[in-house]
Amino acid sequence: MADREAAGAPPPAASSDPAAAEVAALFALVSARYGRRLDAQQLEGVRKAIEGIVAQARAVRAVRLGNADEPYQTFRPYRADEAPRP
Amino acid sequence: MSLDPVFMPVRELAEHVRARRVSPVALAETFLARLEKIGPRYNAVVTVTRERALAEARRAEAEIAGGRYRGPLHGIPYGAKDLLATGGGIPTTWGAAPFREQRFAEDATVIRRLEAAGAVLCAKLAMIELAGGMGYRQPVASFTGPCLTPWSRDAWSGGSSSGSGAAVSAGLVPFAIGSETWGSILSPSGNCGTAGLRPSYGRVSRHGAMALCWTLDKLGPLALTADDCGLVLEAIAGADAADRTTSPRSFRYEWTPGARRFRFGVLAGALDGVSDDMRAAFDRSLDVLRDFGRVEDAALPELPWEAATRIILQAEAASAFDDFIESGGVAGLTAPEDHFLPYARDAVLAKDYVKAMRIRGLMARDADRLFERFDALVAPGRLTVATALDQEFRGGMRGTARDIMGAVGNGAGLPGLIVPNGFGERGLPTSLQFLGRAWEENTLIAAGREYQARTDWHTKHPPVEA
Repeated sequence: MADREAAGAPPPAASSDPAAAEVAALFALVSARYGRRLDAQQLEGVRKAIEGIVAQARAVRAVRLGNADEPYQTFRPYRADEAPRP
Repeated sequence: MSLDPVFMPVRELAEHVRARRVSPVALAETFLARLEKIGPRYNAVVTVTRERALAEARRAEAEIAGGRYRGPLHGIPYGAKDLLATGGGIPTTWGAAPFREQRFAEDATVIRRLEAAGAVLCAKLAMIELAGGMGYRQPVASFTGPCLTPWSRDAWSGGSSSGSGAAVSAGLVPFAIGSETWGSILSPSGNCGTAGLRPSYGRVSRHGAMALCWTLDKLGPLALTADDCGLVLEAIAGADAADRTTSPRSFRYEWTPGARRFRFGVLAGALDGVSDDMRAAFDRSLDVLRDFGRVEDAALPELPWEAATRIILQAEAASAFDDFIESGGVAGLTAPEDHFLPYARDAVLAKDYVKAMRIRGLMARDADRLFERFDALVAPGRLTVATALDQEFRGGMRGTARDIMGAVGNGAGLPGLIVPNGFGERGLPTSLQFLGRAWEENTLIAAGREYQARTDWHTKHPPVEA
């Protein structure tokens, strides 16, 4: 039920513009999750914010990386007897 | 007290304290009175920590009288952005109404280090709610009201370290601690006409500070001069077992006047969207910089610097406040846009976040390569002077303006320094920023000191009536 109400938002529109289609799909997702909490003006604000998120995501996706280009964040296994003491 | 300590740099104050020409207790009383009387005028203060301040000041006074002088911060009052945990029942509100009664059992590492240096905590200072991480776009986004720059009755202090900038600028404290994820030290420093230093990521422990973005958050000082920023950084820097992202590199503040000629670069794109008054002040600053260095154009390889940094910020902020957002707690925030923008962050896909973190490695290496040719990149500190209280601001963090310096600096975790460099529209401060190689805070501070030795903008203060 919550999903149906939240889906006050229309379903993702079929679009020849991949970015617009992605915005519509993601907006539908966010609306389904939180739409009941938001009024029409707020939902429009969410949609505009998602347009920005998709634009920046597409800019990032356009970068070609090699297999060896790892996330710039190091994971280390943990052992209590090696952990520094605060 | 015959000596007037207001608007006196920490270095000068420290000499008076060390020589016992001024009492730490008298200093604390002076700044506590200003915080209590003048602070509300600018919405700059959340909590005046009078009891703690006087206890710390008395201890400092006794130690100095007993011959145990701890160093240049001993007996010096300061304020801390209200996202740094403080024990003793003092609230830590994160600038947000839903957290206004929040209390922690212990001090943040930075607060403990300043206490160990003998500094005197006089106030928890106002800030944008949740350090601006929910997407705010106007000055009102704080439960203590919009913070004003002391240079105007209707212009914003900047944020999110709003009170830290306003309090230093108005002479309410000699220095303050702020935090920056993207722009939150440089913005209030620029709008309020103070110096501000964003250290390298990992230089200062974040333990006990509100987490907004684990891989972007930094803590650093705001003060009247670049030199004072160096004194404070030395006290708060260093490894901390409680924050595993801190570097084992130690930091000792060093500067030899006139010891070097600097190589400055002006980064392609850094002047995009800069207002005419900011640009004019920057051009005048370049003439000063050429007096002790050379200035050349600089360029970085084509990468989505701003988009990648923004994705990281949005994804980490959404996760850091996941429970709060999911519970609907954002409805209790002050800025209307903070009631709905956090929900949009669900549209940041995991694969895009990881890709941004992979690109970050390229960003870090490319930026470092550029610093083989330059000691610092220089640019106007902000796009414009302080915006009016009723205006939306533009900025790189929100994606409404270019901010290549902010994206490179924060995305690659590099240090930045901002100093005042004149006055622009409506008589508001303009500013100059330096961006440096990782761990080269001393280089930036040295450049800032050389600049301030040749200019007097940092000696001008707003007309604050006590």
